Amino acid sequence: MNKPDLKFIHNEDIDPKLSQSQQVEMPFAIVDGESMTELPSDLYIPPVALKVFLDTFEGPLDLLLYLIRKQNLNILDVPIADITDQYVNYINLMKELELELAGEYLLMAAMLAEIKSKMLLPLFEEIEDEEDPRAELVRRLLEYERYRTVSEELNKLQRLERDVFITGVESSHLAKPIELPEIAIQELMLSFQKVLKRAEMFTSLHLLKEPLSVRERMSTILEKLKNKDFLDFTELFNFEEHKTGLVVTFLAILELMKESLIEIVQAKDFGVIHVKALISDNEKNTEH
Amino acid sequence: MNNNKLKNIIEAILLASYEPLSVDKLFKIITSKEKTSKSDILSAIDDLQKDYEDKDIEITKVASGFRIQAKSEIGEYLNIMFADRTPRYSRALLETLSIIAYRQPVTRGDIESIRGVSVSTSIMRTLTERNWIRIIGYRDVPGKPAMFATTPEFLDYFSLQKLEELPDLPEKKEPMDLDLEFDEQTTNDQDISANVSEPISVNAELDTDDLSIQD
Repeated sequence: MNKPDLKFIHNEDIDPKLSQSQQVEMPFAIVDGESMTELPSDLYIPPVALKVFLDTFEGPLDLLLYLIRKQNLNILDVPIADITDQYVNYINLMKELELELAGEYLLMAAMLAEIKSKMLLPLFEEIEDEEDPRAELVRRLLEYERYRTVSEELNKLQRLERDVFITGVESSHLAKPIELPEIAIQELMLSFQKVLKRAEMFTSLHLLKEPLSVRERMSTILEKLKNKDFLDFTELFNFEEHKTGLVVTFLAILELMKESLIEIVQAKDFGVIHVKALISDNEKNTEH
Repeated sequence: MNNNKLKNIIEAILLASYEPLSVDKLFKIITSKEKTSKSDILSAIDDLQKDYEDKDIEITKVASGFRIQAKSEIGEYLNIMFADRTPRYSRALLETLSIIAYRQPVTRGDIESIRGVSVSTSIMRTLTERNWIRIIGYRDVPGKPAMFATTPEFLDYFSLQKLEELPDLPEKKEPMDLDLEFDEQTTNDQDISANVSEPISVNAELDTDDLSIQD
């Protein structure tokens, strides 16, 4: 082993410089051609601080960026072996402290190990266009860093509730409810009520009992509509009939609508409701 | 209607409204009672802006329209009053929001692949509840993931009028040519010197060129 294992110092009382003095002379890392004999001071992280510290990381990419940036390493030439060791040490420490580790951290550890092993393998001549194993990771780190940077910028914008505040005057005592127009279905019901009222005037004269069928009434209505463009809704009712008869007519109209045999139109609000047969119309069209 | 009256009406309407109002909306409200024009409204807002120069409130234009707000200079006083009501947003939330703002429409998967961590449900809930993001459709791929975009309320909150006013996203960097000198490969990858002098996108053709030089 030509370089010392990077271990986190668990006892806060130990001076980090003291532990470093035990591992002199031999450069343990060469960064951009420069040999390093001292551990970066920020590698010493007291375990107590770690818990707080971990919360500030927003995932494995963030942790990796931190490790790279803090040591002033070139992101485009990441010393994978070193970073992997530091990263894994970190993960192990997290485990030791029994912190719940997100799966993503372990995935990243595996990815780093894979890159590291690829870097150790000799290049096969036949796979000439093989990319640097680090390229994909670096690309992701760079992309992540863009958004991390811009999110800090976003945080600096003039924010409501922090930098600027909305002013207001009390106006609820002035508010008046807005009256909404009545709904159309009520209009239809009212029309039908009028029909029923008019029918009442004929009830006393009505003595015959007649069999009623909705289907039959449907045909009658279609018959009435034949060769006519429109008929007034009320014209479809026979006011001399008993109330039940009128209801049957109404049901027949609804049934015809459901089967798209007739159409009910109203030219304007509160206007006359017209009934139009759709069948005869079609026949007319095909004849032409 | 005389200009002073119009100015006072607009001021009162904006103060009573807790959300920004567009010129169209102001016009609709005022014109239902009094004759006015949109250009009159705009010039009245201009006058109000001048009136407020000496005060610690101002009229600002944000995405959804005009609003009257306390100037940021007075923020330090108001922060004392609102100390426990000022929401704090985590870095994770701001990062997620940034990705949605700059890359919209995005799916959860897009956010995850950039951040390297799964998208927190509580963050998405907060963003949706604050009405800063909304679903604008579903991508036509298996699973039909929802696509998220920001809302005008998001812009209002950050005192912006349109998305273009967001701070510039740092330029996209491509990993430079990372070609390795494999023949010098040792057990310590620190020894690997990589050519980082010229920024070339990782590209198969260039890679082969470099390899042949090594041979």
